Amino acid sequence: MLAGNRIRVAYDPSIESAICDITALLKGGYAISPRSVALLLLQGDPDIRRLVQAGEGERFSQINTIVERTARRHAHPLSYVIRMALQQKASDITASVVTVAPPQKPRFAERLSRAMINPWTGFPLLILIVYLVLYQFVGVIGAGKLVDLIEGTLFGEHINPFFTDLVTKHIPYQSIRDLFVGEFGLLTLGITYAVAIVLPIVGTFFLAFSVIEDSGYLPRLSLLVDGLFKKIGLTGRAVIPLVLGLGCDTMATMVTRTQETRRERVIATLLLALAIPCAGQLGVILAVLSGHPAALTVWLIVLVFSFVLVGFLASRILPGEKPSFYMELPPLRWPKISNILTKTYTRIVWYLKEVLPIFLAVSLIAWALDLTGVMDAILDGLRPVVGWIGLPDDTARVFLFGFFRRDYGAAGLYDMQNALTGVQLAVAAVTLTLFVPCIAQFMMMVKERGIRTALAIFAFIVVYAFTIGFLLNKILTGIGVSL
Amino acid sequence: MQLRAGSPPTGHRWRLRYRRRRKGEGRPSPNFRGNAALPKILLVGNPNVGKSALFNRLTGAYAAVSNYPGTTVAIDEGRCKLNGREFAVIDSPGMYSLLPITEEERVAKRLLLEERPALVLHVVDAKNLERMLPLTLQLIEADLPVMLILNMMDEAEKIGIKINREELETVLGIPVIPVVATAGSGFEELMARINEYAGRQQDSSGL
Repeated sequence: MLAGNRIRVAYDPSIESAICDITALLKGGYAISPRSVALLLLQGDPDIRRLVQAGEGERFSQINTIVERTARRHAHPLSYVIRMALQQKASDITASVVTVAPPQKPRFAERLSRAMINPWTGFPLLILIVYLVLYQFVGVIGAGKLVDLIEGTLFGEHINPFFTDLVTKHIPYQSIRDLFVGEFGLLTLGITYAVAIVLPIVGTFFLAFSVIEDSGYLPRLSLLVDGLFKKIGLTGRAVIPLVLGLGCDTMATMVTRTQETRRERVIATLLLALAIPCAGQLGVILAVLSGHPAALTVWLIVLVFSFVLVGFLASRILPGEKPSFYMELPPLRWPKISNILTKTYTRIVWYLKEVLPIFLAVSLIAWALDLTGVMDAILDGLRPVVGWIGLPDDTARVFLFGFFRRDYGAAGLYDMQNALTGVQLAVAAVTLTLFVPCIAQFMMMVKERGIRTALAIFAFIVVYAFTIGFLLNKILTGIGVSL
Repeated sequence: MQLRAGSPPTGHRWRLRYRRRRKGEGRPSPNFRGNAALPKILLVGNPNVGKSALFNRLTGAYAAVSNYPGTTVAIDEGRCKLNGREFAVIDSPGMYSLLPITEEERVAKRLLLEERPALVLHVVDAKNLERMLPLTLQLIEADLPVMLILNMMDEAEKIGIKINREELETVLGIPVIPVVATAGSGFEELMARINEYAGRQQDSSGL
């Protein structure tokens, strides 16, 4: 029954005779059959060429001659000819074993699927989904209600006071007390930011993302935006890393591997670092700006503008071929609860492993810098820079921390929102969002794209973020609006 | 280089450039040392056909599964035990053919060329058999110990697709097993066939 007579695809006679000639020359041992090696050689596969060149030595040039001779006999590339033969055989087999019942009238899922892809209905649907998922679910529920509950009530009224009392009673030295429960304390800053502010936001985002991912909406979104993305050097394929970036840019930078060309990978990495706020940042900024709808609008417009402008310029400047895009559409499905929970859980675990140590390290470093007076020196140096874009001195700290973690910086902004005017909030939010990716994301950029590309992106972003912040402040104060 | 005339013009140039870049960067290669002695079961197939779902079922491990092509960007490896015999199960990123275009596909092909698997499970979406069979034919052509897994049989049946499994087995000359990886149906037979197949592999390699 098994492996009795395995099927053999018969190719064009000139290809069959080339296979015969090449296999006669192959003496080395390969993991796949000589026939298969010969076929891959005929199709110019670089991996197999390298293997055969190493294994066959002088015979490789004879093999090359056979390949070239065969290629000249065909009007199309041999890879195309061979692929067509395989596809023909596959179609013949399918015709003999598969029967398809006559199509029924399109079901609801089919109609919904078409509506998601059609630009006239697809973009309104996209806006609705973004509004419901990002604004209502992640913004209002995650960043608003959950953070109020966990940070305000749980940490603010119970956990932090309890430990502050405990530490104050048992540790006589003020500087050591500060290490745990001071302004930059491991508990009062590090753990509070990570667990009480960032985790609820990122957690709700990952939950929503898992549902969307499982439903099959993302491939449809890819088709919808493919035309637009082609203008900025990407294709619909870039949807997954970019949407995932709204959760965690570090994770998304890793996922840019799925892009087909190096050029797409570089552009996607750049846009993630520049114009895609991660959930921690996004949630905090939505919460901070929710009292200033005009500032929120300005922030959104500047971000979209930067995304399109920088993508467009990058696609002009970076060399490389224009990408092509083909994606199969999986059916729309009801997401499975167990799958969603597992996925959300694994992402949150990944995130916490990534984030908690860094938050604690930042608290420790900040405490040490503060104790030694270095902090004040750095902040003194940063003040002219934040002053240059029209922000008060205290925001220097937000930017300093924003370098360690995007969401950390944003969480700092959350703490001082009442001290800033609408214009200052808009400028701070825009600059902070565009500003440097966090350390973890930068490390991932180095790992995935190489140190030179990562540094170039880094330098560009610092200059771009502050220039835009400066211009925005000049324009907004120039026309005298209060947001 | 002389070969360029006979290969797809854009793809070929791109691959050469890409490989050069990779060398310096050196993404850590997957480390299989822990399971080196175990016979390997390699899962391959187009993106989004349920390789990771099958992997999770077979090993009880967790690989991220989603309804989006190309989610598996790294290689996952787990173990599974059948009738007391232990296997290393390797989940690969999606590939469309033995002639890869993206880095992800290259990873899958390298696994095929270098890992000497005891068994290759070609996982396909039963709804799109016609598009996926060319890779099956290539795997058979390569003399790899391959089984064809028709996944998502439930969805295929829902839209009225019927596949004559016995006929397909006869035509291809390899085992064909229908399953629903997310629900676990068809797995009893799958396990039995893997066991049977692997057993014969061992016998024949002993000769």
